[in-house]
Amino acid sequence: MAKTIVNNIRRLRFDRKEMTQQELADKIGVTRQTVNAIELSKYSPSLEVAFKIADVFGVPLDQVFQYASPTRNKS
Amino acid sequence: MSFREKSAWISFVLIFIFGALWLRNLIRVEFYGLRQDPMKFFFAILLALIVAEISLHIALAIQSPRDARTPKDEREKLIDLKASRIAFYVLMIGAWLSLGTLHLPGSNRLMMAQALMGSILIAVLTRFATQIGLYRRDA
Repeated sequence: MAKTIVNNIRRLRFDRKEMTQQELADKIGVTRQTVNAIELSKYSPSLEVAFKIADVFGVPLDQVFQYASPTRNKS
Repeated sequence: MSFREKSAWISFVLIFIFGALWLRNLIRVEFYGLRQDPMKFFFAILLALIVAEISLHIALAIQSPRDARTPKDEREKLIDLKASRIAFYVLMIGAWLSLGTLHLPGSNRLMMAQALMGSILIAVLTRFATQIGLYRRDA
């Protein structure tokens, strides 16, 4: 299966006391709909937004986003 | 439905109504010989469109003040760019076809101007329809 950009944002939000999409959106300066689109892998964010997301969760970028098969890291 | 999508729907529906009224009047004047100044009617419905756009967007902003204040993010800007690019092609094709109407028998500059106006309307509708489609795809 072709590789694509997948992410762990949903799990990371859950681990941070169930942070809402709106809270994350406010912290990184995008709309809630954009966070939802990123989470569902329907939109690949810019490098800047990707780093901001990683910064909010306090983890390295590769713990948020991976280039892998879509079946992996579904969380 | 997001604030931007609602805004795109408002513009799409209003411009569609505007276009339908404009076309209806044009047909009545051109084919049924209605004695009416087409420009007077055009500017009347244009004014109505502007008033309706402003009023509905104010109402939308009152309903979602936070979303109305939030500037467009990168995804929304990208959607705008994609929609504008597609609308540009539609406009260019329409503009060239409008120029071609000058070669039709019995044509005149007013007919060309009306064809150009139709092209602009179709391009604008294409832009909003594309925006709505892209917003819905990401939802």
